[in-house]
Amino acid sequence: MLEISDLTVAYGGVVALENVSLSVPEGSITAVLGANGAGKTTLVRTISGLVKPRHGSVMLGTQQLIGRSPEAIARLGVGHVPEGHGIVSELTVDENLRLGGLWRRDRADQRVAIEEAYELFPPLRVRRSVHASNLSGGERQMLSIGRAMVARPTALLLDEPSLGLAGGLLAQIMQRLATLVTERKLSVLLIEQNARSALSVADQAVVLSLGKVELRDSAERLAGDDALRHAYLGF
Amino acid sequence: MRLFVIYTVDGITNGAVYAAVALALVMIWRATRIINYAQGAMAMFTTYIALIVIRHGAPYWLGFVIALAAGLVIGAATERILVRPVESRPPLNAVILSLGVLILLEAIAPMLFGGQTQSFPTPVSNIDLVAGGTTLDFSPFDLFTVGAVLVAMLLLFLVFQRTTLGLRMRAAAFNPEIARILGIRVGRMLTLGWGLAALLGALAGMLAAPSVYLYPSNMDEVLVFGFTGAIIGGLESPVGAVAGAVGVGLALSYVSGYIGSDLAPLGGFVILIVVLMLRPQGLFSFGTQRQV
Amino acid sequence: MNTVLRNSTLLRHGVFFLGLAALLLVLTSFVFDPYTNYNVTEVAIYAICTAGLTVLTGINGQVSLGHGALMMIGAYTTSVLLTWHPDLPLILMLLASMATTGIAGAIVGIAGARLRGPYLAGATLALAVALPQVPSHFASVFGGNQGLNVPTPAPPAFLGGDFSPEQWLAWITLAAAVITFFVLANLVRGATGRRFRMVRDNEVAARLSGIDVARTQVLAYMISAACAGLAGSLFAYWVTVTSPSGFTLNLSLSLLTAIVIGGLGSLAGAVIGSFILVYLPVWTGGFASSLNLSSNVANNVPLAIYGIVLIVAILVFPRGIAGGIGSIARGATRIIRSSRGPTALPAAPESPSQ
Repeated sequence: MLEISDLTVAYGGVVALENVSLSVPEGSITAVLGANGAGKTTLVRTISGLVKPRHGSVMLGTQQLIGRSPEAIARLGVGHVPEGHGIVSELTVDENLRLGGLWRRDRADQRVAIEEAYELFPPLRVRRSVHASNLSGGERQMLSIGRAMVARPTALLLDEPSLGLAGGLLAQIMQRLATLVTERKLSVLLIEQNARSALSVADQAVVLSLGKVELRDSAERLAGDDALRHAYLGF
Repeated sequence: MRLFVIYTVDGITNGAVYAAVALALVMIWRATRIINYAQGAMAMFTTYIALIVIRHGAPYWLGFVIALAAGLVIGAATERILVRPVESRPPLNAVILSLGVLILLEAIAPMLFGGQTQSFPTPVSNIDLVAGGTTLDFSPFDLFTVGAVLVAMLLLFLVFQRTTLGLRMRAAAFNPEIARILGIRVGRMLTLGWGLAALLGALAGMLAAPSVYLYPSNMDEVLVFGFTGAIIGGLESPVGAVAGAVGVGLALSYVSGYIGSDLAPLGGFVILIVVLMLRPQGLFSFGTQRQV
Repeated sequence: MNTVLRNSTLLRHGVFFLGLAALLLVLTSFVFDPYTNYNVTEVAIYAICTAGLTVLTGINGQVSLGHGALMMIGAYTTSVLLTWHPDLPLILMLLASMATTGIAGAIVGIAGARLRGPYLAGATLALAVALPQVPSHFASVFGGNQGLNVPTPAPPAFLGGDFSPEQWLAWITLAAAVITFFVLANLVRGATGRRFRMVRDNEVAARLSGIDVARTQVLAYMISAACAGLAGSLFAYWVTVTSPSGFTLNLSLSLLTAIVIGGLGSLAGAVIGSFILVYLPVWTGGFASSLNLSSNVANNVPLAIYGIVLIVAILVFPRGIAGGIGSIARGATRIIRSSRGPTALPAAPESPSQ
């Protein structure tokens, strides 16, 4: 369970998030939707410790994440798939995957986890010793999600995974993700501008606008209600 | 022809020393985007420590190991205490800071070790080898110099490419933010990177001191020529740095031999300018140019 | 309207610098003892050079670790000319040194305009190490490692027989410094300075607004080098002997560190930095010799303290001492203004010496 309450973030004098509260239960996906500049990326960067909030709290289970460093938060079980993939392009596919859980003590399980990532995304296996800079957009996204999974996280933050992906491939990746969530009891926070794709896998959805929670509802209702969709998501 | 061989051997031997410095500069540049102008002064300092140890009757090799260990400590401490606060500031801050460290070390050294020029021992003979009645144009120490640098480079390569520690350090250097959200303690990796670089510099100091002697500012030129080599190589590439530094070593040796030893630094400058005019980012750099 | 404003800036600068010149004239003639005059002359020499370096590094954003080498070109121009033609007037020596060094600066600038960050730093550093070796190789012209002697310029007869050459040199140097700062202050305020800053802040934007970036950078290098040449020429008269050992790597590094510690980008910072460069060793040297330390320790105390000052200044005052003073002054002004009512932030108080 990932529980965010009353989170406020400001850059200088500009408020990017204002009293945002939301919770992501285990084994479910919460989609965070909204236009550019709504504060979506700020939200995930604050959860993973890259941005310091003005006030508020982020609890992962019983652990308070606010005030900890990004590396400590990662070690507590938060996986972050950053905007634009965030793979290290100078390293090979295999090295990128290994980076995922380098801090874990259980070396044997680390090897198992890497093997699982290859099974989850078979295209990566053929390209394992290729430099990540040579991957296609879809492969990069798979690598980034696979790498986050290697660390065996309890919460997963996905920032715009649909960016630059073709529809078919995106649906495939989302389907894999949905399976993982139920299997591993993950709490997933899915940031998306592409509301249609996000709502197809999410359990609940939150719409952010100018840093505030504008609407929260089940994904099914939001996808089904034409008026709501038009008003908040523009499709 | 005979002279050419002598100059070439000299050039390669000096080039190996410059290569160690160049590699140290490149390691730090890649990890923190900072040029450590104090690299030479740190090497001078650790070499003095070795000299003190050896003068007190310890064997050369103990001095050698202590110098390298001192390099590791000085480099790591410099990063952790002084460089960390300026890493996110405009680059000129780090330039001035490392110049401050250079000036401080060169001022403290004569206080602790005396200001006069000191000779420095070699672990093996410094006299040219003789085989079958003909004098070869290199000494055991020349071989040791080149060999030690090669071994150090091989070890570094293995650490960086074959160990998880090396993987962590590379990730921290290439993309610190991503490394952090993957749970890598980037700060520690940078500290370690500075330490390893200064260790390499300490090795260069030990290898240079027998021929250039030891005095507080004697590693300035070694730093400048190593830096020149690293720039010619493009600053990003370890292979380029080594190639550039050996090239600088050879060029200096030829200029010094055929024209005059006073003009050797000018030769180094001219070659640097010519290379940079043709390729402003050096020979082995393929990335985009970075601003000041 | 525009011309009036520009004229008034010129006028303000003119009044300020005339006043400064008068003050310095009084101080050097009636207040300072010969030793102080000697030190003040040195401060003025460094200030001329660091003012030029401020324009290059602070205003135009190009780093130079080799300004000591440029000073050396100026010093040797004067010294060599003096050995050939001892009777040439001093003003010609100064101008000739500015010309040769300016040309050298243009060459470095043309090479440097393509280089950025550490590449430019490395090239200028290599120059700083390489150039001092040249006089030893061409000893017949440059006097080798012993160097060339430079006679202190004789004061003109109307000043009277007992007017000391040292005081005359102090006057000349301070006059040169005041003129240099007057010219540079106007340049920095004017269109040229604006172009320099635009190139520093954003090369692409500068190019888009029609600025020839490379040409601007070469011009900045030339101006900066001409200042270094002038400083070098005066340095030759001040030291009275020009030899390679006067232009070590340390000099180049000191010049760059001085402008940063003084406050990068402000001409006042160049003066503060030069003052520190001269007086820190004087004061700390006196302190060290009072402690009865061994000569190895005492001789290096000033350098060690300079190193520590640099490190601490960078860690504590990232904007330099002038910047630190400036922000304290602005903070004080803000407090005074806000107690009177209006909360709008006042612009930074503009002094002509900026």
